[in-house]
Amino acid sequence: MLRLDYRLAGVLLVLVVLHFVLRPFMGDLRVAPDLLLLALLVYAIQARPGDAAIAGFVIGLVADALTPVAFGAGALAHTCVGYLAAWGKAVFFAESVPVSAGFFFAGTWLRDLLVLVAGRHLGDRTLLWQLAVWSPLKALTTAVAGVLALMLFRRWLDERARA
Amino acid sequence: MTPAPDTFASRRDTLAFVICLLLAFTARVAPPTAQSAASDAIVHTVLAPFLYLQEQVEVIRASRSRYLATVGLRDSVLARAMAVEGLELENEQLRRQLELSRRLNVRHVSAEVLQQALPTAGFMARLSAGRDDGVRPGSPVITPQGLFGVVQSVSSGQSVALLWTHGDFRVSAMTLDGSVFGIVAPRGGGGPNTMLLELRGVPYQQEVPVETMIYTSGLGGTSGVYPRGIPIGTIVGVGEEQEGWSRTYVARAAVAPASVSHVVVLTGPALDVQQAFAETPSGP
Repeated sequence: MLRLDYRLAGVLLVLVVLHFVLRPFMGDLRVAPDLLLLALLVYAIQARPGDAAIAGFVIGLVADALTPVAFGAGALAHTCVGYLAAWGKAVFFAESVPVSAGFFFAGTWLRDLLVLVAGRHLGDRTLLWQLAVWSPLKALTTAVAGVLALMLFRRWLDERARA
Repeated sequence: MTPAPDTFASRRDTLAFVICLLLAFTARVAPPTAQSAASDAIVHTVLAPFLYLQEQVEVIRASRSRYLATVGLRDSVLARAMAVEGLELENEQLRRQLELSRRLNVRHVSAEVLQQALPTAGFMARLSAGRDDGVRPGSPVITPQGLFGVVQSVSSGQSVALLWTHGDFRVSAMTLDGSVFGIVAPRGGGGPNTMLLELRGVPYQQEVPVETMIYTSGLGGTSGVYPRGIPIGTIVGVGEEQEGWSRTYVARAAVAPASVSHVVVLTGPALDVQQAFAETPSGP
C-alpha cells in the first residue's frame, strides 16, 4: 500500500507540475530533465520497493499515454526503475550529493534503455545515438535537477525520513 | 536525506513488483484499439489539468518569443499577397482555357505540440487540436519549414501525430518541376544532428542533383492525400542503387521534430485527385 505524507506529496506535486510548466522553456527536449521520472526517483529513495514499483507503473502509464509510440513500454521501464531504485538505494548507497546525482543519472539512463528495448527500437542506429549521446545528456540534466530539488526541499524530506 | 529503515524488499514488495510487471506487459501486448482507449482515458482525466497548463504556458511562451519573427513574416507575406490577386485571376483564366475544375481549397487549424520526455517522443507528438477542431486521422501536419507528419488518432480536444521519423511513415514525393517521383521514408539515425530520409524507387535513368528540394506530390498518403507542394527535404546524395533499375536518394528533412512547438494541421476534405483532374463541361 502506498504511504505518502503531505510533505513528500507536496514535493512530488511540485515536480510533476514543473514538468509540464517548464517543458516549453527547456529548449532541445532530447536533453531536457525528466521531472516526472525525478519525482518517481525521489519517492523511491524513501519508499519500499513494492510501493516504488506501483508508483513507477502509474507514472509509466502516464508517460505512455503522453507518447503512445509503444504503449506499455514506459510502464514496464518505470516499474523496473522504481523497484530497483528503492531496493538499490536501501542496499548499496550512502547519503551524499554525488551519490544521489549518480543515482538520478543511472535511473534516467536505465529508464531510456528499457523503454527502447521494450518498444523494440533495438534494430536501429538511432538507439546507439540515443543511448550514447542523448540519454546521458538527459540523465545529466535530470541529475542536476534532482540535486537541486533535494537541496531545495531538504528540510521537508529530512523531516519525513526522521518521522 | 536518509532512506526509510524498512526499504529492503520483502515478499509483499516482490509480489507488487511482479503484478505491476504483468500489468505493464499486458498493456504492451494489448490490441491497438485498447491501448488507444486507455491512452485517451488517462489523457482526458488524470492528465487533463496538467496538459491544459502545458498548452497555456506554450501559448504564452510562443506569443512572447515569436512576436518579432511573426511581424517580419507578416510583412514579407503581405508583400507577396499583393501579387496573389492577379495570379489567382490568371490561374482561373488558364484553368478555364484548359477545361480544368476549380482548385480545391485547403482549410487548416493551428496547434501546439505538447512535447514529452520519453526517448520515443521523437516518433510521435501529441497536438493540442482534436476532433472538435475538425482534425481527423490522416490530416497532414505541417510547419513553416515543411512536412512534420500526419495525424494518426484523434480525441475530442487533442490528437496524436505520426512524425516523419517513425518507421511507418511514407509520403509520395516529387521534385519541384515534377520530373522525378518516388516514395519518401525515414532512413533511421545517421547521427545526433542529422535528419535523414530516403527517396525510394526513382528510375535509374533519372538523376536528382544534390541540393534539390523534394516536395509532396499530392498522390497517396496514409489515409488521405497530402496536398501537392509541401517541402519534405533536400537531396544530399545517392544511397543505394539497383543497377539498371532504380536508385534510392538520401535527403535531409526540412523539419527537425525536436525543435517544433507549433504546427498547422490541414483539415480540409480529403483531396480527390480524380476530381481535381476531371474535365469541366466546356462552355459555348
